[in-house]
This record gives sequence, structure tokens and C-alpha cells, in this order.
Amino acid sequence: MADVAGPSRRDFGKAALLLAGIVGVPVAVLRAVRVDASERQRTIAAEVAQIVIPRTDTPGGADAGAHDFLILALAHGLDGTRAPQAGAAIQGAYAMARGSGGAPDYLAWLETTLDRRTGGDFTGATPAARAAAVGAVDADAFATRDSGSPWVKIKGLLLTGYYTSEAGGARELRYELVPGRFDPDLPLAPGDRAWSSDWTAVEFG
Amino acid sequence: MDFDAIVVGSGITGGYAAKELTEAGLRVLMIERGRNIEHGSGYVTETLAPWELPFRGVGDAAAYEHDYPVQMKNRHFTEFTQNHFVNDRENPYTTGDGTDFTWFRSYNMGGRSLTWGRQCYRWSDYDFGANKRDGHGTDWPIRYADLAPWYDRVEAFVGVSGAAEGLAQLPDGRFQPPMALNVVEQHVRDAIGKRWPARRLTIGRTANLTQAKDGRSACQYRSICARGCSYGAYFSTQSATLPAAMATGRLTVITDSVVEGVDYDPATCRATGVRYLDVATKTHRRATARIVFLNAGAFNTNHILLRSTSAAMPHGLANSSGVLGTQIMDHASTVSAIAMMPGFEAHTSFGNRPTGIVIPRFGNLDTFDGDGFTRGYSYQGGAVQSGWTRGKRGPGIGTDLKSDLRAPGPWRMILVTFAESMPRATNRLSLDPVRTDAQGAPALKIEFAHGHEEHAALADAKAQAGTMLSAIGGQVIMGLDQPGPGGASIHEMGGARMGNDPRDSVLDKWSRAHDVANLFITDGAQMNSSACQNPSLTYMALTARACDAAVSMLREGTV
Repeated sequence: MADVAGPSRRDFGKAALLLAGIVGVPVAVLRAVRVDASERQRTIAAEVAQIVIPRTDTPGGADAGAHDFLILALAHGLDGTRAPQAGAAIQGAYAMARGSGGAPDYLAWLETTLDRRTGGDFTGATPAARAAAVGAVDADAFATRDSGSPWVKIKGLLLTGYYTSEAGGARELRYELVPGRFDPDLPLAPGDRAWSSDWTAVEFG
Repeated sequence: MDFDAIVVGSGITGGYAAKELTEAGLRVLMIERGRNIEHGSGYVTETLAPWELPFRGVGDAAAYEHDYPVQMKNRHFTEFTQNHFVNDRENPYTTGDGTDFTWFRSYNMGGRSLTWGRQCYRWSDYDFGANKRDGHGTDWPIRYADLAPWYDRVEAFVGVSGAAEGLAQLPDGRFQPPMALNVVEQHVRDAIGKRWPARRLTIGRTANLTQAKDGRSACQYRSICARGCSYGAYFSTQSATLPAAMATGRLTVITDSVVEGVDYDPATCRATGVRYLDVATKTHRRATARIVFLNAGAFNTNHILLRSTSAAMPHGLANSSGVLGTQIMDHASTVSAIAMMPGFEAHTSFGNRPTGIVIPRFGNLDTFDGDGFTRGYSYQGGAVQSGWTRGKRGPGIGTDLKSDLRAPGPWRMILVTFAESMPRATNRLSLDPVRTDAQGAPALKIEFAHGHEEHAALADAKAQAGTMLSAIGGQVIMGLDQPGPGGASIHEMGGARMGNDPRDSVLDKWSRAHDVANLFITDGAQMNSSACQNPSLTYMALTARACDAAVSMLREGTV
């Protein structure tokens, strides 16, 4: 993963300053939450991001910084990730330790789970073994409705991180801020790309 | 400061009142509690892409839970729009024991006209006659014929695009050309109409221009309205009523000033003006006028009246009836059906249409045919082609996932019900005896619960939605029949209801207080029943009508 750039924290800082400048949100508020990820967890998150969204003719998940968004999102509780675990998930393989702020520690769970799935060291496993481990975690998480697997949120945030990046939103998919017209019925040809700027489609999935 | 008229609030109805009164020749002061937002330059996130925001448009959940715990539940509240919503921590309210109310607010120039859903529907006599017909609430003192010319006037100024359908329960208006149904919606319209001729799916009637007018551009099909639209393509205070009022040279605007009460002179039984707090300097000030319009938003208008106590009016201004604050309503809404719509895989659309569809009320019209409810409901929604977020719902990783999400996904039809909210004395506003707001004033207490009629309507709506979509080729994957908490529809209204009898209503048929001849209340507070239509167009029509009446009364010297 040495070829995966990880500059998005800097980008986040730039965007935070931009937002603070234009809408008056204090930067202190944006920075108040501690980002709680070890370097190893960050490395694993990047690897997982690239496995979930590989590099093809467009950048992959880690290329686009989806893992940085995941780490930021978990630190700030996006998608309900600060909420305590409930139901069956409290027990067994999906049980998460608490992080420094008391919230479930998704990154620690991911690290532990993937290490276990690869015989103890995910980062030292072969690419095929790493991909197989992520695939198994994914299959288990969606094998039943409401499995309680933390993977569902992790995957969701990685997808958000990718498809709301410029690479994912405007290169992998198409982005048009000002369509200028509405065509209600067009033929959909094979290979036509979806619009990341179709806000209703994004909202309702 | 002395004016002909004071308008409290700059939202949909405040802006409209300012326009009508200034155009009639009055010198008007409009007071807005929040900050100014300039048209265009004030829409600071309008053109940003998700990757230009720190939280990609999703927003900082940790900050929201601290400052916007209620507002964040609004689906229109995002990182793009957060600056158009109120800070809940700084502006608390309370709710009754065991009840919940999500009060969505915008304390800024333009109020919620910046973020509203823009749907514009006329009421019919099924609505104005509803209370009299089934005995809930008190009768409206007006009927459709009283308001029809004012709907005409307002629609022509607002710019409402829509299709004429000739339906008695949802009268046609003066429409700009309609936006188009997409291919799936057209199928649903045709197929439902064939099997159920009384059920008509039509394009949402929306305050988005399809033709330029008054210096405002036609819609650019971005569908990011709530960020603010520098094209002026949707109706808001900033895009439409404020420039019209300013053009008269007779409007004075004060922002960052919270009205604390209406001053009342018991000798003349008239309002003399308002007192307000200049928030920046913490200075209490007064303004005087010959007439006062309260357009603070339904609940805040109630709040002002409840706080405007005096020796002559110990229970609040214009409250000799004792009903002030009671009979508040919203709409009971929920997602009644989502159905996969196979057969359209080779079709797509381009552009983001800023409105969905509507299936107007079809029950309890000429006969009571509802099971456990006597009022109406209607559906809104639309057909949506899935986007990349569908990848969150199922298994898959790697190139297969990436390849799948590259293309638009399956079509789904979504029907959301808005059911009429019954007027009930137990649903009410009052001043909290303990809690205070940032200015030290008693916080507003909201006690609200949907009742069995609303639940029965939503149960029927779910059943009918499922039946319809299944019958026309849809595969229903989910549907709900329980409403969200009060306020979830963002149609909160009532508390200062209009009525014939001063003993059980606050306002007369001109939206004027029975007790105070020069006090007009033309926002949602005046509503006496809720119908099931989105209410803003009716508020604006009532506002225009009240302004005309007020100007006549001033000229005749009767106020």
C-alpha cells in the first residue's frame, strides 16, 4: 500500500477552514473530536478501502482517501457510529471494545477481526488472503438481515468516502452541478455512468 | 420609529405581507429575529461539491448532536444547508411528558422560505367544510370562493408549475407549464388511472419556475434548492417578495431583533406596536404602527401572543376566548410504500427535477368511506433510479461492486402519505413555567400527540399504497403505518384559529384578532383545520386577502 497517497487529512483541514470562513462554524468545533486511530489501523483501513473499491481505470478507495474519511467519520460519529451497540451484537464476534470517548471502537474491531481471519497478521498476509478476509467479513455481515456486524457501517462510510470524493464522484461517476434541463425518459446504454449529483438517488439509495 | 404597519417575521407569509402592504402604499417595518442572508451572495454552499466540504455534505454528527439535535432529524438538514437552520441549544423549547415534537426552524432572513418543500396546493370546500361536516373543531368562517381569487393572485406572483387536472378536491390554479413525469411515474399514473379512475397521479405543483419571470430564471434542474438558489428559480422571501417590497421604497427591515411582545392600549383596544430585543446590543426597543401583522411562524406567533400579557389581557393578547395556543396541528406522515418497479431497466433520465409527484386525496370525499377516520390523506413521492448508496445495503466488494455501482440501479416507486391532523384541545402550546430561552423569556412548551384518526388514516394509506403498486407491476419491499413525532411534516399550525365566534376562536374571517381590531395573524397560527395539503400556498393566499382587508380598513378608518 506504499503507493496509496493519504493526504486527505490535509484536505480536510483545508475544507474545514473554508467552511469555517464561509458559514462561521468555529474551527475549534470541527477539531474538537480526537481522531483515534493507530498507524496500523490507518494502514489496515487504507488496504480495506482499496479492496472494497479497487483501482481500475479510475482511482480506488484508498487512492481517493476513503479510509481517511472513514476514520474522520468514526471519530465524529457519522451514521450513528457513536451509538452503543444493541441486541445480539453486544455478544460474540461483533462485540466491540469502547474507544477513548466511550463509543464503540470500529477500527479496533476491524483490526482484530481481519487479523484473526488471516492467521494473526492482516498486514503481513498475501493480497489474495487479505481480499478473501474482507470478502468473508462482508459476506457474513450481509448473510442475515440486521446481522449487527460493525462492517455494515464501515463499508457504508467507505463507500461514502469514495463516491463523495472528486475521484469517485466526478471520475468514476459523473457529476453535473447545473444540468439545466430535465429529460424524463432517455435510453440507458450499457456503460452509461450514474450521476453522483443525482441527489435524490443518493439520498434514497 | 413609527410606521403604518409592522410585520413580525420575514418567512413565507411575513415576506408576502411586506410586499402586499408596501405595494398598497403603506410604510412598513419588517422585523426578523435572525441574521440577514443576502440573495445570492448569502448562499455560501450553493455551488460547492461534496469533496469541498469537510464532512462531504453529510455533516459533523458530533457537532450536530451538540447544537442541532432536533434540526439534524430533518431530511433537508445537511452540511450544505445547516446554516439555514436554528441552533437548538441556543433556542430551547420543551415538550409535554411522554410526548415528542420535532420543531424545525430557521431563524434568519427568509425564514423557512429558503428551505421549504415548495409544494403548492389549493384547498377545496372539502377542506373548508371539514370541521362543520364531522363536528371536530369549529367551522371555518370562509369557503373556497372567498379564497379562490387570492390563490389566483398569489400563484401568479409566486410562479407555480403544475398540471391542471380538473379535480374537485384539489382545485387547479394558475400554473406555469408542468415539469414532466419520468417514465416510471407516467406508467404508474396511467396504470392506476385505468384501474382506479378516481385516483390521479400528477406532477407535484411546485414553486419552481419553468418560465423566467420578474428577473428570476427558470429552474436549472439542480434540485439543491435548500442551499439557496442564486437563479431565484424557486420562490422565497429573498428571491421574490423582498425585492418587490424593497422596490416600493417603503420597506424598512431590521434583522437580529427578537420581538418580545405586542404593545396593547386598553383605552383604545388597539395594538400600538411591538417591543423587541436588539440581540447584538442587548437593547430593548419599541416600534409603533397603525396595524400589526404577526408572521413569526405559527408557534412563535403563539409564543409572542402568550407573552404579551397585560392587566387587560392577563392570559395573553387576543385571548379572551381562552383558546389561544390550543388545537395545534401538523400532518401525520410516513413512508407508506416503497416498491421495486421492474421493466424499466433500459430507461433513465437526466437532470434533477426539484419536485416529486402527488396522488391527491381520494377518500372521504362525497361519502365517508374511511375506516376510523373522516378526513383526507394524499400521497407524495416519485420514482427514483437508485444511486451508489444502494451499495451500502447488500453484500459485495471489489471490481464487481465498483462495476455495479457505476451504472444507475433499479427503479423504485416511493409513496409518502400526508394525513390530515385533527384539531384537538389537548394539543397545545403554553409558556413553560420553568425553562427559559437565551433571552430569559419563558420557553415555549409543546404538548402534541397524533390521535386514532391519524393512525387509522395511515393504516389505510399503507394498505392502499401496497395494493395499488402491487396491482401495476410493483414489488413492494417496505411500508410503514406509524407517523413520525409531531412536527415531522414541518406543517405545524394552529393555536390562534380563525372562527365566527369570538368566544371560541382568536381571529375573524379577515385573519384579524377578534379582541384587537388592528392585529392581524396570517401565518400558520390562524389555521382551524389542517387539510392534508402542504399549507404554505394557503397561508400566502390568506395573507394577501388579509392585507387587502387591512388596507381597506385603514382607508375607511375602521382600525
